[in-house]
Amino acid sequence: MPAWLSPLVAPFIVLNVVIGLVTYVTLLERKFAARMQSRIGPYRVGPHGLLQPIADALKLMMKEDIVPRTADRRVYNLAPIVFLVPCMLIFATIPFAPGLGVADLNIGILFFLAVSSMEIVGLFMAGWGSNNKYALLSAMRAVNQIISYDLPFIFAALVPVLLAGSLKLSEIAAAQQGLWFIFYPVIGQLAFIAFVVSTLAAENRVPFDILEAESELVAGFRVEYSGMKFALIQLGEYAHVIGSSFLGAVLFLGAWAGPGPEWLGPLWMLLKAMFLFLLITWVRWSFVRIRVDQILTLSWKVLLPFTLLLLVSTAFVVVWRAGV
Amino acid sequence: MSNPVLPSSPTAKRPHGPEGPAPLRSSPTRVVSPLSVIRAVTKALWVTFLNLFRKPVTVHYPDEERKYPDRYRGLLALVYEKDTGEEACIGCRLCEYVCPPAVIKVEMLKTEKRNYAKSFSLELYACEFCELCVQVCPTDAIVMMKSFDLATADRREMLLDKDRLHAIGLQHQQSWATGNLLRAMQGPPKMARAEEVHAKPAGSQA
Amino acid sequence: MLDTAKTSKVEFDYSGGERLTMNMGPQHPSAHGVFRAILTLEGETIVGVDAVIGYLHRCHEKLSETLTYAQYPSIASKTDYVAAMTSELAYVMAAEQIGKIEVPKRAQYLRVIMAELQRVASHLLWLGTWCMDMGGALGGGATVFLYCIRERELILDLFESLVGARLLYGFYQVGGTRYDIPDGWAQKCRETINLIDARIGEYESLLEDNPFFLARAQGVGVISRELAEDVGIAGPLLRGSGVNFDLRRAAPYSSYEDFTFNVPVETGGDCFARYRVRMVEFRESIAIVRQALDRLPDGAISSRPGLKSVAQIRIPKGEAYARVEGPRGEVGCYLIADGSAKPYRMKWRGASFSNLAVLPHIIPGHKIADVVAIMGSVDPVFGEVDR
Repeated sequence: MPAWLSPLVAPFIVLNVVIGLVTYVTLLERKFAARMQSRIGPYRVGPHGLLQPIADALKLMMKEDIVPRTADRRVYNLAPIVFLVPCMLIFATIPFAPGLGVADLNIGILFFLAVSSMEIVGLFMAGWGSNNKYALLSAMRAVNQIISYDLPFIFAALVPVLLAGSLKLSEIAAAQQGLWFIFYPVIGQLAFIAFVVSTLAAENRVPFDILEAESELVAGFRVEYSGMKFALIQLGEYAHVIGSSFLGAVLFLGAWAGPGPEWLGPLWMLLKAMFLFLLITWVRWSFVRIRVDQILTLSWKVLLPFTLLLLVSTAFVVVWRAGV
Repeated sequence: MSNPVLPSSPTAKRPHGPEGPAPLRSSPTRVVSPLSVIRAVTKALWVTFLNLFRKPVTVHYPDEERKYPDRYRGLLALVYEKDTGEEACIGCRLCEYVCPPAVIKVEMLKTEKRNYAKSFSLELYACEFCELCVQVCPTDAIVMMKSFDLATADRREMLLDKDRLHAIGLQHQQSWATGNLLRAMQGPPKMARAEEVHAKPAGSQA
Repeated sequence: MLDTAKTSKVEFDYSGGERLTMNMGPQHPSAHGVFRAILTLEGETIVGVDAVIGYLHRCHEKLSETLTYAQYPSIASKTDYVAAMTSELAYVMAAEQIGKIEVPKRAQYLRVIMAELQRVASHLLWLGTWCMDMGGALGGGATVFLYCIRERELILDLFESLVGARLLYGFYQVGGTRYDIPDGWAQKCRETINLIDARIGEYESLLEDNPFFLARAQGVGVISRELAEDVGIAGPLLRGSGVNFDLRRAAPYSSYEDFTFNVPVETGGDCFARYRVRMVEFRESIAIVRQALDRLPDGAISSRPGLKSVAQIRIPKGEAYARVEGPRGEVGCYLIADGSAKPYRMKWRGASFSNLAVLPHIIPGHKIADVVAIMGSVDPVFGEVDR
């Protein structure tokens, strides 16, 4: 194989798998939510709705591409791509099995956190470029919210880093062969809860989805998008959720550790990520959303001091146990 | 700002009714503490989790249909008399006069023995399904069916003429309500024909 | 007339603050119907509300002058289409008051049963749509919405086996009711309300101590007692602000004095207080239905013969105002009869129309997200507002 081709194979495979996974995860969410609401969800398109995501994708591709007359064309057209690319890039450092991953960087988790914060640029471009008051309001709220919640997210994600002693994601996964970090007494559980809450907020999921608030802002920053651009934004959002689920599985749930032979590792990884995703979905369908000032209060006055204290106490615990 | 007093209202002196020793409850403001948050969140998640295992209430229409009750107000139809097989409608136009959105148009045809309806048109797309036409019909000619299946892509198909109405009457199951039964149910018992009063079907539930 | 050019511009006032005029337009997922609110915003805080209604005006009052007393009750449902029985009852009671027509006891008890079942069904819809507005059509709100609709469908099934229709009934006529309950209906009704009683407990546990819900509902949209008495609101809005006024107690109609029930009154005045009022009303309505079913007398369901022709009911000259405690407040029908089969004039007092008057007083100072919470707790139905 030519030298320039081999590094592209892994990303190509991962990207395609991720896109396929994201489309079917939408179906999973819809059926799970439907069952919680005493209904069935997609049922007719294909056996038990299995072809529904494909039908949705085809429909979105065939839709007319509408650009508002007074929109800022370049910003408007570029926004979905700027939003999507970081959401896909986060899969670069996630190890699916020992040695199986796109790029196992030394600063694995830092890369994840840094890149995932870049989607806010795409979000704001979408809100601004639409030339729509609702979209602009939503974009302003988004900047507020995602920036506020990135800090607790980072601190919660740093707790496993301290416990494992490395930023490299495969080493964090390897350090959990004995005990998964979620079972680490007190610190593990608290960090996991903080991680889930900050993930919910950083991904605009209910109860923190004030910026998409269908009942107030009618889809928020994506209100003017239709067709394929809307599909790209949806793809980006769900990819971010799945990426955070995979990250949570690596950081807290032991990544590929599980009973059975070695080659079942990626399957366990997938199952754990789906478990985390279903947990997020479960929370999403059970709660009403809170107002933006309440979200920010929660972040700055509650979550940030909490995660900071947690991080400091983790450091103490690690040093104490190393000294013992 | 004083309240303007209503002229002939019985409560003119006390615009808001009797006050005084009425039970004025005040629900205390709920205090949010970390423990209560955790308990409430768990409770909410538990309720939705329980519902995951309840049977869905969806009815797989059109593969299955739910059971319609006996008094269901569905499509309208004209029927034939049971004993002679002739058209029951005598063209009296009572239904035309009572219909609130005026969707029925009837022309009478007089013969020596009895009257018929020369033409009978019903605009189903404007019908309110209020059952008033069924209520007033003296010969139980117009009735409603236990089905509403008439979805069409062309609104003209919903302008029902006499033949369509008779065809619908033969095609679907008829509801319980006919003019005489309804009037018998409403009027004081002594005005009803005895056998009609007892014609209410037993256990007529969905 | 409203100058639409003026409704979308940005003003700068003396202090340099910036105000944005935004439309929460007639097409909006949580406008509860067609309602246009022109909001003036400073950042996220609302400083002014201009309410525009009339998008659902269908000339009910003029229509009633062309329809007879026999025809109009079926149309009256369409004002408050969520609680259709209420408006029909007001119209029919007004005609009976003028004509001094007696209503048999059985018919009165049936009216009470249907009115209270309708109140439960309407409050179920209120709870579902309010939570959906606060939680989003794709979020937790939709879960509560679907649960409430599932229960409301059970009540609609009861109505369907009684009348044949699920939403707009035509159940009443001047002199009594049009339909009598079929066999087995009373038993089914009891089972249904027992089930709903249990499920309401489930919703309370889902919402009541929920910190997110409390954060959205407590302290939001406070209607003080003085404001409530001044503005002319009625129903749960009034009782949530500490005024003990319920038409079923103050001016009992249709045998309500025969039943024992509590009237919930809260002093909080905020959305949470109104929520508590309606939740208690659920249980009280269920208690009333149980009592009425237990003591349902036999007899005729109407004091007039069955309807045979369109002009059968003639009301002598006179005028009357009939008031009914609907789920949203006082629904009133003012009728002037002139001796013929059609009224001379009819005027609706729409409960939601008067309730909406409180919005410009309580919304300013809140954030945009609170507008939907407040609108939801005011629970307007625009068929009643615009008629």
